[in-house]
Amino acid sequence: MSPKLTRRDFIRSSSLLGAVTTLGTAPAQSAEHPPGWRGTTRVETIATNCEMCFWRCGVLAEVAHGKVLKLEGNPSHPLTKGRLCAKGNAGPKLLYDPDRLKYPMLRVGERGEGKFKQVSWDQALDFLAGRLTEFKQKYGPESVAFFPHGVASAFFHTLMRAYGTHNIAEPAFAQCRGPREVGYALTFGQGLGSPEPVDLEESKLIVLIGTHIGENIFTSQVTAFADGLSRGAKLIVVDPRFSTAAAKADWWLPIRPGTDTALLLAWMHVLITEESYDKEYISRYAQGFPELAAHVKEFTPEWAETITELPAAKIRATARAMAAAKPAVALHPGRHTTWYGDDTQRARAMAILTALLGSWGQKGGIFLPTAIKTGEFRTPAFPAPKRERADGAGTRFPLASEEQGVTNGLVDATVSGKPYPIKAWIVYGQNVLESIPQRPHTLEAIRKLDLMVVVDVLPMEQTYYADLVLPEATYLERYDMPQIALSAKQPYIAIRQPSVEPLYESKPGWWITLQMAHRLGLEAYFPWKTPEEHLATLVQPLGVNIDTLLTRGAVAFPGRPYIAERLPEDGPLFPTQSGKIELYSPLLKQLGFDPLPRYAPVGEPPVGYFRLLYGRAPVHSFARSQNNAWLDALMDENVAWINEDAARDLRLAEGQQVVLENQDGAKSLPIRVSITKGIRRDCLYMVHGFGHESRRLKLAYHRGASDAGLMTRVKVDPIMGGTGMRVNFVKVVKL
Amino acid sequence: MARYAMVTDLRKCVGCQACTVACNSEWEVPTGFARTHVHATGVAGVFPDLVSSFYVAQCNHCDHPACTKACPTGATYQAENGIVHIDRNLCIGCGYCLEACPYGARYISPTIKKADKCDFCSPRLERGQEPACVLTCTAHAKFFGNLEDPKSEVFNMVYEQGARRLETPEVAIGPNVYYLGKKENVDLVLATFPPHRPRLLAPGEIWRGYLKPFILAAVGATFLGQAVAFFHQLKVGEEEFEK
Repeated sequence: MSPKLTRRDFIRSSSLLGAVTTLGTAPAQSAEHPPGWRGTTRVETIATNCEMCFWRCGVLAEVAHGKVLKLEGNPSHPLTKGRLCAKGNAGPKLLYDPDRLKYPMLRVGERGEGKFKQVSWDQALDFLAGRLTEFKQKYGPESVAFFPHGVASAFFHTLMRAYGTHNIAEPAFAQCRGPREVGYALTFGQGLGSPEPVDLEESKLIVLIGTHIGENIFTSQVTAFADGLSRGAKLIVVDPRFSTAAAKADWWLPIRPGTDTALLLAWMHVLITEESYDKEYISRYAQGFPELAAHVKEFTPEWAETITELPAAKIRATARAMAAAKPAVALHPGRHTTWYGDDTQRARAMAILTALLGSWGQKGGIFLPTAIKTGEFRTPAFPAPKRERADGAGTRFPLASEEQGVTNGLVDATVSGKPYPIKAWIVYGQNVLESIPQRPHTLEAIRKLDLMVVVDVLPMEQTYYADLVLPEATYLERYDMPQIALSAKQPYIAIRQPSVEPLYESKPGWWITLQMAHRLGLEAYFPWKTPEEHLATLVQPLGVNIDTLLTRGAVAFPGRPYIAERLPEDGPLFPTQSGKIELYSPLLKQLGFDPLPRYAPVGEPPVGYFRLLYGRAPVHSFARSQNNAWLDALMDENVAWINEDAARDLRLAEGQQVVLENQDGAKSLPIRVSITKGIRRDCLYMVHGFGHESRRLKLAYHRGASDAGLMTRVKVDPIMGGTGMRVNFVKVVKL
Repeated sequence: MARYAMVTDLRKCVGCQACTVACNSEWEVPTGFARTHVHATGVAGVFPDLVSSFYVAQCNHCDHPACTKACPTGATYQAENGIVHIDRNLCIGCGYCLEACPYGARYISPTIKKADKCDFCSPRLERGQEPACVLTCTAHAKFFGNLEDPKSEVFNMVYEQGARRLETPEVAIGPNVYYLGKKENVDLVLATFPPHRPRLLAPGEIWRGYLKPFILAAVGATFLGQAVAFFHQLKVGEEEFEK
């Protein structure tokens, strides 16, 4: 450091020289603050990606003396371009959370009591391998169910398939994106995937139905949304709540909950009767239009007004706005779409509307994925399970994804013992008591198990019920399966690599998997010894310099996101049975479901009750982040949004603590009331993920209330098994 | 010469607090404090014609800062590029500047017991990086640049698109953080978070007013003394050398 030159002097001199005025064009060098230094510390920068949620934004970790000093967005990441949300920025507080699981533990007390003894990794893994071998011999490998979530579980997924079970289900399907994926696949022949390929930044009109971008933060999606608006896109927001997005809307439609399909049908009615849909697109690409036109004939805006409580004139006006902006209408398909149990049909209605506007595969609408060829591993085929799936995917739920499975189907099977007993659960990267509704049902299932294993980073409530707890290293301490993102305008590969060594005795998932594979004699499924070797094989056909990938964190490839740019190698445009957009679905007809979506009432709250709605806050991820000190400082509890008129009738005061009690008598922890004009008076809203019951989460324990705990009722989608969760009603009980 | 300014586009801001955490992380701000923080206005209007907005608060690096006048030691000062700094060597943590700031942009750090606030990420600027909040902003709603450069984004936003300062007739000290948005939104922000009149301006000024002659005298005396000593040493030293 140059002595005697104070910061004050320096800033004066540097501004005099005009050095900082070139900001953004040429990096200015500074004696006091040179690149690669933080204060007086030399820092190393590691490019990796985030796992505070599953969007996986690019981050640069600044590391010195084996410690992560700061996480910053990675400007060279093709999708997120240096932007990083509050959660992503708070990553170091997960890494250094003092409450982390620190060593493998075996249960010594009763399930739920939380009494464990510390064991070594060898003891833990030998124990698990012994039990798995025993289950395989006694009950068959299908008796072991696996509940993964997220990319980190990819290696464990392979392990479980190699072991011989196909009873694998993650909440990303039946509690989240499932209905949407199935509804769009029925219509266009393919689902959407993640990140959602919605062309928000090029759109002339953005339509959000229950999607709360801005409170739900997926960084690049928020950027595209905001950039789209600032480029002049109009915005329609359909939400019973005045969300952050609604506050930016040109039209906010505070719809009566559960009536979205009626609105969608009325919009179609207007487009078709006024002949303002994209005729050329429909005649070229779609089949089933006459059936659709006949079907929606009776669904006038006046009909919809009586159901949705939205003025018919507003329904017409918004339909006309869509017609005027077509095909650059970004009708967002939503993400968490398991609402009322008829969700696949609602997703179908959204897909059909997208088709009428000609927006699928068009600029400003929904863009198309582009495949890239990654390296393959020479491994034996997985053993074919001898028995059907226990979760009902493909049978009880005919169109459920066999890749992602039906979590609640596995819970049901564990409770009932049908079609055969499930003896063990391995849970990885999710908290089954928060992610799957009907907690008493889940607990009943856990009681029936011979073995419950939890692999996690934090002592979530489910660890209390585990027989074996394996502490995983955080995303900043491990290598994971790289992200191969096809549903981006430019497909890309992005890596996760460790920034620091794992703390305590935690171990990366890939290490745990390899150790288990070795113990179970399944090494042939893992023909690599180190993560570097795994990555090298994977990227080999891409022609990517591996050092570039390790330095930059991500590499993008040319994409062909719009119909006009597609090449023969991209495959059929609409890989449905007919090769066309199926407005009318012969497949649904064949399976005994409505081939065209129709509105069905979802039931009203009883007198004195509100419909329970839930969503996200921008500073938290699911039920994962409430123990993070920086995020806790910004939001340490959730509140219950109640309409001001309803609050007056109930004589509630702002900030008053109440308990919420649902239709089945389930009670929440105390929660504060937030009185607002910004919600319809028939519903109550709270942010998901609070009210933790684990005492070991010292910041999050008993802060706020759990919406999941109030979901004792679900309505299951018969098409794909999704749990509709907005069918619960709560009343306010004063303390 | 540069005149640095920040513009927050309220049409884009979603209030996600990415800026808050990035800033806390960058500057090791103690948990529970902030150099920048996002506030919500709450909902105004009549259902269903409602309005609400976010307000991103931070140091405004005002043209006529109240804090520099209130600071009794001169620790708070304004550089020629408009950035208001705190010299930690001079700050005594008296908190007068907190009272003076109409925008509540400062806090006393419980770890170092001194005032702290946004300095537009000056060390990052020197490295050629954007301020941490601008880089991280998920909604691409924060813009930083030189108001005297007609080609800059902020110049365009302020002089072409009409980004506004949060000023009232009572408190108009030329903040250099601007807000772009629909009139109703910026009006709501200003009505909900109006700048307060600088408080305790007088004591600092009076104190410094009284002290100034003494400080000048002390500095003058030191200088004089040193000059005397210098010449004395010159003379004496030469004499001693000759001896």
